[in-house]
Formats: sequence, structure tokens, C-alpha cells
Amino acid sequence: MNISKIRTVMEEEGIVFSFSGMISQALTSFMVETAKKQLEERGEDGKITRNIFLIAIEQLQNIMSYSKGRDTSNANKYVSPGVMVIGIDRDKDKFYVLSSNEIVLEDKAKVIKKIDEINALEKDQLRKFLREKLRSAEDKHDRGAGVGFIEMAKRSSEKLEYNFEEIDGKLYFHILTYA
Amino acid sequence: MENLKIEATKYTPEIDFDVVNGALNITGKSYPENTFEYYKPIVEWIKEYMTVIDNDRKITVNLDLEYLNSSSLKAYFDLFDILEASHNNGKNILINWIFDEENDIAEETGEDFIEDFTSLNIKLVVKD
Repeated sequence: MNISKIRTVMEEEGIVFSFSGMISQALTSFMVETAKKQLEERGEDGKITRNIFLIAIEQLQNIMSYSKGRDTSNANKYVSPGVMVIGIDRDKDKFYVLSSNEIVLEDKAKVIKKIDEINALEKDQLRKFLREKLRSAEDKHDRGAGVGFIEMAKRSSEKLEYNFEEIDGKLYFHILTYA
Repeated sequence: MENLKIEATKYTPEIDFDVVNGALNITGKSYPENTFEYYKPIVEWIKEYMTVIDNDRKITVNLDLEYLNSSSLKAYFDLFDILEASHNNGKNILINWIFDEENDIAEETGEDFIEDFTSLNIKLVVKD
């Protein structure tokens, strides 16, 4: 094991908090509360801290929503492997929230359509757009209102950045949000 | 009908609904994973309450929610729909949307509810 290598990467990428593994609700709560506490202790702006907290919740719950993998010991149970990183982009002097999860090919076009539609809107339009979607409930599903990307965009100072990557026959979705 | 009391968790608020004095208090954070499942008994209680309570009785809904995830926002939109329908049926409802002065997100959410539910009596209340 090479801990120095891990530390170097973390310093280079400005990482404040990161996790890779199975995402659960309990872990989501632990991670966002810990990150919030760390940011408060650093004396970061309250507004930025709240935005990071909410963006991270949406990204983590998205990982749980989009993961379709099943537990090998219990086929009724979903497993949600993912990576979540909160860090500081030194060039932009902004906090970022970055996450990665496996996604099924059928969801790819849907995700692209959703995010591109959101990225075409300005801040004041997003506020209205979210309320329209909440009202119509057209994207509602069992585990959420289907409006997580809109909430992320509302809390973000920049457009949502995303890409898809195929590794060893698996498709991964990455999303980057700046607070 | 009985009072409804649910303890807060790290990601769900405290619920304290009192049948007799008509105070329905929700306090804390709300970002559960299974939001609709969580709010189902709460919504059911309110629906039943609206059928048993007299129209002249004052109902005060105190919502003090520090953080809401997007699915909780949806749950509260649905709750406001129910409250609006009850108001239109003659119920006397006051909603206090309570927030910390520096929590601009909570303030903005309250403003959105006021804009979207014009017939409801919603007051923005800044915490001391």
C-alpha cells in the first residue's frame, strides 16, 4: 500500500473529503454532516457550505437512484457503488463536488437530455423550472422527485459538467459541480 | 384521533402534531432516501385531522426546516396542496415558515411557497 501516493493525489486535487465504496443513506448522512462540520471549522462561508451540503446530498442520492446493481447475497437489495469527492479547485478558487457511479446504457440518453435542458437555463429560470417539475411530478419515481440535477444546478455557481466513460465493459457517469 | 409524535433522526425532522391545540410542528432536517414512504403516515394524519376538526378551530402549521433535499421539497409541495384544499373547504389554517436569518435557501423556499400557494396564509418567520 502506498499511502504517500494517496496523500499526494489528495493534495494535488485539493481534496477535502472523499469516499469510494458502497453508498447508503446512513453513509450519505455521515459524509455530508462531516463535510459540513469540516467546512464550518475552516471558517468557510455559510452560504457556500449550505450549497455544498445540498449538492452532495443530491449527488449521493442520485448514485443510489441510478444504481441498478444487485447484491450477490440478496437479489432484492440494490447496491450502489460510487465515488464522491469534495475539494477545492485552486485555479477557480471554488469548492467542487464530484461523483462517479455505474449507470445502465438505457439511462444514458435520459440523463444527457435532462442535464442539457437544465444547463440551457439561467438561475432565475431554474427556480421556476424546479417548481413546475415539482407541480407536474412528471419525473417522479419511487425513490425521488426526479429533480436532483435541477437542485444541483440551483446550488451551483457554474453549469453542470458531466461525462460518460466506458471501463472494462462498464459504463460510468461522472458529474462535477462547483459551489 | 391521537396526537402524532415522531422523534427526529439525523436526516428526518421531529414531528409533533397536537389534536387539541391545533399546532402541527415539523422541526429539523429532511433528506431521507425513501422520502414518500417517510411522509406517508404524516400526510395521512393531516388528511384525517382535516376531516375531524371544526372549521372555526384555528390550525397553526409551524415548519422549521433547516435543509430539504429535492424529494422532500416535493413532499412539502404535496402537503401544501392538501392544506390549500382544506383551506378552500373552509379550514382556518396559518402556516409559519420558520428559518434562521442567514439561511437564505430556507427563506427562498418559503418565498416560493407563498408565490405558488396564493390562497394560503403563509408567514415567513425569522428565528430569534
